Amino acid sequence: MHNSDPPHNGHSASEFGLTVDEVTCQQFVELVTEYFERALQARTMSQVEEHLVMCDWCVNYVEQMQATVASLRELGPEHTPEPPDSVLGVLRARRAGGP
Amino acid sequence: MQPEPAVAPARMAVSDEQTVAALRAGDERAFRDLFARSYPMMKRVARAYVASDAVAEEIVQETWMAIVTGIDRFEGRSALGTWIFSILTNQAKTHSAREKRAVPFSCVAPSDPDEPAVDPDRFQKDDDAWPGHWATPPRPWQKPERRLLSLEARDHLKAALAKLPDRQRMIVGLRDIEGHSAEEVCDLLGLSQENQRVLLHRGRSRLRAALEDYLDAPDV
Repeated sequence: MHNSDPPHNGHSASEFGLTVDEVTCQQFVELVTEYFERALQARTMSQVEEHLVMCDWCVNYVEQMQATVASLRELGPEHTPEPPDSVLGVLRARRAGGP
Repeated sequence: MQPEPAVAPARMAVSDEQTVAALRAGDERAFRDLFARSYPMMKRVARAYVASDAVAEEIVQETWMAIVTGIDRFEGRSALGTWIFSILTNQAKTHSAREKRAVPFSCVAPSDPDEPAVDPDRFQKDDDAWPGHWATPPRPWQKPERRLLSLEARDHLKAALAKLPDRQRMIVGLRDIEGHSAEEVCDLLGLSQENQRVLLHRGRSRLRAALEDYLDAPDV
C-alpha cells in the first residue's frame, strides 16, 4: 500500500527549514532504542527530536514501542522456586559446624 | 572450583561482605534473600544457552550448589554478583556444549545480517516522492490500555517472546521484564553497551511488530 500523501502531515520540509540530512522515518525506526536509552550523539538526537516534531507517524511508532515495553513489564518477573534441598543441606551442615 | 574473574582488585562492597559472611556461617535467611534476588536473572541467562527451561533450571541449581560449597574460596577480588554469574555462564557453556549449541555468547557477530526494525516495504523507495518516509505508516493503537491488558494480547506477546532468538529474548527479559539497568546487564554478562543495545533493539522491534499484527487485525 503506497501512501502518496506528504510524510509530515501536510507540511513540507521547506516550511520547517530542514536541511537535506534530516532523519528519515526508515532511519528513525533504527535509532529508536538508542533514542530511548539516551545513547545518541547530540547532533543525531537533535535531528531525531526535530523529526518527531513533524512526523506524527513516527510519534505513533514511539508510542507503540513504549506500549510494547510497558506490556512486557506487566508480564511479571520469572517465577522463583524454593531453593533446592541439597543446597539448603549444605548450609545447614555449615551452621552445625561442618565444612 | 570456578576461579574468580580477572578484574581489577577492589574491596568487597559492604553488602557483599555481609552476604559472604552469612553464607559462610550457613545463614539460611541470608541465602534465601540472595537466592530470591538473583534467581530470575540467573534463569533468564541460563535459558539463553540451552534448549529448555528444565535444563536452565538444572544449571541454576548446579550454580547455587557450587556457590555454597565454594564460598570459602571467594576472595572478594570481584563483586559477588560477578563471581556468581561467571560460575553460571561456565555451567551453562558446559551444558550448551553437550547440546552442541556452542555459540559464543557475547558475540553479536559482525557477519549477522542487519535485521531491519520494520519491513523495508513499508517505506517509500528511492524513486518515490519521499524516499525513506512511511509508505504504510503505523496507526495509533486504539485504546491500547484495554487491549494490551487483555489475556489474549498478553498470550500473544508471550508467544512472540518465546519465538525470539535466544540472546534477544534474554536481553529483553532482563531489561524490560525484570527491570535491570543496561549497566548491570553489561557488567554481569560481560557484554558491551553496543551489543546489549543491538540485542534489545532487535528483540523489541520483533515484539512491537508482533503486537502490531495482532492489534491491527480486524476484530472477530
